[in-house]
Amino acid sequence: MSALAIENLVVNRTGIPVVRGVNLIAKAGEISVLLGSNGAGKTTLLEGISGVIPASGRIALDGADLTRSLAGHRARAGLSHVEQGRTVFGEMTTEENLRVALHPSASLDQAYALFPELVQRRTVLAGMLSGGEQQMLVIARSLVGLPKVVLIDEMSAGLAPVVVGRLMSAVRKLADSGVAVVLVEQFAALALAIGNRAYVLRRGQMVFEGGCAELAKDPARLHHLYLGDAGETGAEETRQHA
Amino acid sequence: MPHASTRAALSTAISIAVVAALIYFLLPKYWVYIITPVFIVGVTLQSLGLVTGRTGMISLAQMSFAGVGAWVTGYLNVAQFPGGLIVWMIIGGLAAVPVGIAIGLPALRLRGINLAIVTLGFAAAFDSVLGTITYPGQTAFIKVAQPAWFKGDYGYFTLVVLVYITIAVALEYISRSRLGASWLAVRHSERAAAALGVSVPKAKLSAFALSAFIAGVSGGLLAGYLGTLVADNFNMMQSLALFAVATMAGAHLTQGAIIGGVLITLFPELLRRLNLPQDVGSVFFALGAVQALSTGETIGETWARLFRKVVPRRKGADLTGAAKGLAPATKHATGIALEVKDVTVRYGNVVALDDVNLTVPAGKVVGLIGPNGAGKSTMVDAITGFFPSYKGSVLLNGTALEGKSATARALLGIRRTWQTTRIAAELTVGEYIRLAAGPISHTELTAVLDWIGCPGPDTPIASVDAGTRRLLDVAGVVAARPPVILLDEPAAGQSYAEAIRLGARIAEIPEKFGSAVLLIEHDMDLVRRACSSIAVFDFGRVIASGPPQLVLALPVVQKAYMGIEPEGAVA
Amino acid sequence: MNSLLTPAVAGLSAGGAYAILGVCAIFTYRLVAVVNFTGAAIGAAGTFVMVALTEHGMPLFPAVIIGILAGALVGVMIGGVMTKWFSGASATTKAAVTAALLVGIIALGLRLTGGQRPHLFPDLVSGSAFRFAGVEVTWGSLLTVTLAVGLTIASDLFLARTRTGLQMRALSERPMAAELIGIRVRVLALAVWGIMGAVTAFAMMIIAPLRSPDFMSLSLLVVPALAAALIGAFRSFRAALLGGVLIGIVEGMVSALEFGARFRGVVPFLVILIVLLWSQRGARWDAAR
Repeated sequence: MSALAIENLVVNRTGIPVVRGVNLIAKAGEISVLLGSNGAGKTTLLEGISGVIPASGRIALDGADLTRSLAGHRARAGLSHVEQGRTVFGEMTTEENLRVALHPSASLDQAYALFPELVQRRTVLAGMLSGGEQQMLVIARSLVGLPKVVLIDEMSAGLAPVVVGRLMSAVRKLADSGVAVVLVEQFAALALAIGNRAYVLRRGQMVFEGGCAELAKDPARLHHLYLGDAGETGAEETRQHA
Repeated sequence: MPHASTRAALSTAISIAVVAALIYFLLPKYWVYIITPVFIVGVTLQSLGLVTGRTGMISLAQMSFAGVGAWVTGYLNVAQFPGGLIVWMIIGGLAAVPVGIAIGLPALRLRGINLAIVTLGFAAAFDSVLGTITYPGQTAFIKVAQPAWFKGDYGYFTLVVLVYITIAVALEYISRSRLGASWLAVRHSERAAAALGVSVPKAKLSAFALSAFIAGVSGGLLAGYLGTLVADNFNMMQSLALFAVATMAGAHLTQGAIIGGVLITLFPELLRRLNLPQDVGSVFFALGAVQALSTGETIGETWARLFRKVVPRRKGADLTGAAKGLAPATKHATGIALEVKDVTVRYGNVVALDDVNLTVPAGKVVGLIGPNGAGKSTMVDAITGFFPSYKGSVLLNGTALEGKSATARALLGIRRTWQTTRIAAELTVGEYIRLAAGPISHTELTAVLDWIGCPGPDTPIASVDAGTRRLLDVAGVVAARPPVILLDEPAAGQSYAEAIRLGARIAEIPEKFGSAVLLIEHDMDLVRRACSSIAVFDFGRVIASGPPQLVLALPVVQKAYMGIEPEGAVA
Repeated sequence: MNSLLTPAVAGLSAGGAYAILGVCAIFTYRLVAVVNFTGAAIGAAGTFVMVALTEHGMPLFPAVIIGILAGALVGVMIGGVMTKWFSGASATTKAAVTAALLVGIIALGLRLTGGQRPHLFPDLVSGSAFRFAGVEVTWGSLLTVTLAVGLTIASDLFLARTRTGLQMRALSERPMAAELIGIRVRVLALAVWGIMGAVTAFAMMIIAPLRSPDFMSLSLLVVPALAAALIGAFRSFRAALLGGVLIGIVEGMVSALEFGARFRGVVPFLVILIVLLWSQRGARWDAAR
């Protein structure tokens, strides 16, 4: 059963429609990889889903309609959003960052089990952590809220390949524990390697939907979807593959 | 056809004169006496509308400035200074100017909130000092003399209305000039204003100085009306109430200032006649101001909107798309227009730009691409002077720009657009282009708008959709015809077809306007169409540069851009 | 010697009051991002509720408690306006809203309390505590300063040690991230307003007998309060504490000077002017605009 179901979502940013009628499904235990070049609307789509900016269409979490709820309500209902840019609370320590988000029936050990690296940094101000550690912290912070769905935006931006690999395997573990993950990535290869279902967004519309393995096998097609000249014809491809 | 500002000024002057004439000829002496302060307060409100409404700075000491004017008028009266009330109140206004500038200084930088705190502090200080001195001539029962031509209730009413009209007309002219547009631009976004070559300190100080002058004059008018004054006429509550009313009524519009004047003057009178306590008025003003702030529309604006519904504004003729009348391309120096030499930028211990070198030749469009966070926008900020410090050098036609402010760089000829548009919605399309481009002929202005596909110059920007505002951004920088233009994702949020069309226009910029272009863009189809060469950024470094087709096919670029291993990707 | 020390000590109680109000102003700014011009007026409202009750014969202690609750209630009401309609507004707009509300509250307060009509303000504490170098130090001034110090320490501890404090810090640092991890942002913001209202109300009750105790004068104590907050750069409670006390002492000394009496009210303004000019010498751009 799908944990998160998005139907015909339209999201405007400063009056401009950036996401133009998108459908997306995320299943528990799976990673749905959302690809697309910069400016395709990936971040805006996530923000529309989590309630950072208002959206029209339908957003359902385990069948419950959340389209009209506020961001805080969606978060408490189990829809967690790890924003891009590593939004740690920089003037609080690592442990304080986790404690402030702790669900009553969760424990900090769960976070430290996924990211043992953070244990020895627990009393350090989050603002002083390295980029990779901060990224681990925000994912761990999401995890201790015991979410059903986690939306992760551009976690690898600006990080060294080793760290990115580390994060990818952690995200796979997170999904394996029964969480539905939506992973937004600009860097396709690693994400496709750990993902189950792939979506490609271009100028606010889905131009591809299919298995990650299928897309990973066909780099020429991905190249085409990313760097053009796909244009409006891309929209038709969705229909062929849907 | 009269110029737009003359037309507006005339209609303002005539409508006020008609209302005043009706009051003069139809109402009894008592009512004329009661109504006179409506226009005096209207003048003070106009002064507040200038700083708060137009320039977006909160002033809570406007009655203190009026107090300075009133006291100076009083001294000149007692000293029997030649020239009479009209001269005295002008001197009173001038005396308030240095006070206004001194108080405006701390607000030059950083938040407008600071100005609110400073002005409230000033109002409190002025209160406590004023409380200890009596009005000049009060103890000797010397009243401020009204001018011979404007004596008595009817006469003084005439003087007050004339002053009101003079100031309203002057403000109408100024608001449509480049100075007035610069105030609105500063209110909307200080950075964007600086990028247009507007000096932010000059815009703020000029607004504050002019505002203090007008407030000072209104104090002189009040002195002439009442003959003698007390400190309570100018206390903090008066300033605060004035602020609330200005916010509620929209004092930057002349009809708003009069509505505000009516509210302050006649509302207590109404309450008195209804046997209600008069101080309830202030509660009403406070609620009205909060309401206006939450909806973002003042009473004045509501009236203007309803008026336009009844009497539709003449819409500027829609442009045909023929793009005739563009002047020939401006001749700029040839060779390298923009050169970035070994530039390094750090945020704390993060290196955003690492020893970057980049050149933009005159007459070319160069693309700048790379993944999110690669440092592209940081590059634009460094080039245009929005970083206080960076290592390395930026050269425009061979001249280093280090130490020059953002405003100075814009004036020297490096112009930019922003990822999100920052155009003040209160302007019209034509006013915005004039603000961006400086002196420009009407033919040229319409030709530029036509070329890029924007609506006519008389169209209010508030009625233009967000996509078109982005085009307007581009129109503004090209109309200025600078040697170098930096476009930061101009096609973001546009449909594929629109983006491709914009790409074709950008490709024409060097040939039509003579400017070199550095284009940041993600859509590779647009980049291919517009650019003769591209540079690829990753981790704050240039990892490749050259002709688009060659560079985009490089494995290192594909890896940086998509994270895919290149084998098999490119045939 | 005594000619300067006496007025300096006399300014101590006012200084303590400014410090308390300044700390509250920083509290509000840091946690809900509002420069609050109604701070002192909220406290004045609570104080006058207390006075009205004692004037009608209620014993002091319950009247004080009800007054404090009234202050909290007024704070929550203003907070309600801010969170309901202005949570997404710019800092300048929020400041404009509180400035406009100040007019309404003062007008309403003056009406309900009978304008400048004198009220019987019960001295919560009175008399001389001790003599220091020949100068009387009153219980009142001692208590305000102690309260200011206590409040400063308590604010820091509350934010550092409690779960609510932790959530408030998260909220102040990144409101959106705080909301996205499920913190009840609105409830928390209202709590900040309520606490702030209660504390100011109590502080005002102590200060009121020492000032010209009409509703307007008390409400306008927001000026020295904001000056103190500026000294703390709207961030440091301790600097605001020192700043507030210092403004009080300087005021006391200035009013003792022969020519200075009429310039006492100018002191906070000069402090604001100097602090702003100094603190902004290096700044360039309005943060995100």
